[in-house]
Amino acid sequence: MRSRRRTWIAVGLCATAVMVIVGLAVALSGNVVYYRTVSEAVAERDTTARFRLAGAVVPGTIRETGTGVRFDVTDGNRTVTVAHRGDPPQLFEDGAPVLCEGRWGRGRDAAFASDRIMIKHGEEYTPPDVEVDETSMAATPAPPVG
Amino acid sequence: MNATVAGADARTRLLPKGLGRAIDALTLLAIGALLVFGLVIAPPDRFQGDAQRIMYLHVPAAWAMYLAFFVTTLASVLWLVPRTRSMVWDRVAGSSAEIGLILTGLTLALGSLWGRPVWGVWWAWDARLVTTAVLFFLYLGLLALRAIPADPTVRARRSAITALIVFIDVPIVHFSVNWWRTLHQEATVFNPELNPQIEGTMALTLWIGVLAFTLLYLSLLDRRYRLATLEEGLAERELDAAIEARVAAASGSAS
Repeated sequence: MRSRRRTWIAVGLCATAVMVIVGLAVALSGNVVYYRTVSEAVAERDTTARFRLAGAVVPGTIRETGTGVRFDVTDGNRTVTVAHRGDPPQLFEDGAPVLCEGRWGRGRDAAFASDRIMIKHGEEYTPPDVEVDETSMAATPAPPVG
Repeated sequence: MNATVAGADARTRLLPKGLGRAIDALTLLAIGALLVFGLVIAPPDRFQGDAQRIMYLHVPAAWAMYLAFFVTTLASVLWLVPRTRSMVWDRVAGSSAEIGLILTGLTLALGSLWGRPVWGVWWAWDARLVTTAVLFFLYLGLLALRAIPADPTVRARRSAITALIVFIDVPIVHFSVNWWRTLHQEATVFNPELNPQIEGTMALTLWIGVLAFTLLYLSLLDRRYRLATLEEGLAERELDAAIEARVAAASGSAS
């Protein structure tokens, strides 16, 4: 009786542990690299896969197009143009740190074709009227690189 | 209330009654202060505006979730060590896990409500969000395991060992934003540099939120523990009544 209980517990625990590991592995396998910086994306221009491109919107480059917006993003080293289809999110603006989901357009200098924009805000919080060191704030060009 | 009920009352409580009432009162005060600070006194965020105020619930809920699961783990260890083994720890572990699960759900829901206006999406399959969702289902599993009818000692041992295993995900959740690239921000207060990136009044509001949720957790734990002891008492009484009915039926048919 006692050994049967032990077996039961051992089986239950192993099943739990396996579920955790498999669950994490499956869920994160495609997403461990949740985004690529502009420099990394430029280095892997040949890829046809969908990925997320991280950068800050270059101020003054946002132009509305018939189907969405066109703008430049930079990581401080490289800058690329993004052609986005659809409405950008509420906090989309000059300098906003963005993740654009999509793939490279065809052609050597084609824009990155995005169909989803997410805002990756930083961990700093401050009221609007406080003088801040702009280089340390969320709106700076380089998003954190993991 | 007669003497026997009062005596039973002392054995059904985790905290002395007076302390429990004091915590309840302080919880209400802290929630009131959080409402005033969170909605009126704290300034809106420079970038996120008023949407940032969700932080004053989301972060304290996540903190209380960590606390609840830590208490479950500690109580499970105390049950497993023969010298401290007591059903008190089994009840604390179960009660705390239940509250922690609710707090995890709250953290996920509040995070989703915050994500929509700020990120632009309700959900993202990034490491922080996925590991937190996994945490929810791990503790849901622990509670399901606790609900399987079994001998109390067997159930307590099985639950205690499982509680130690599922806790592994808690540090993974906390450090996920440092280990992997995520849409979720890195820690504002408990960052690796231990240098909070938040303005004074906002930080104070956040701490009031943490205090309010900690007190709320203690208040709920005290109540849930009492409920657990009362449930056990009821189950015992029902068993006694069932045995009596059997005996009565048997003697009735014999005569």
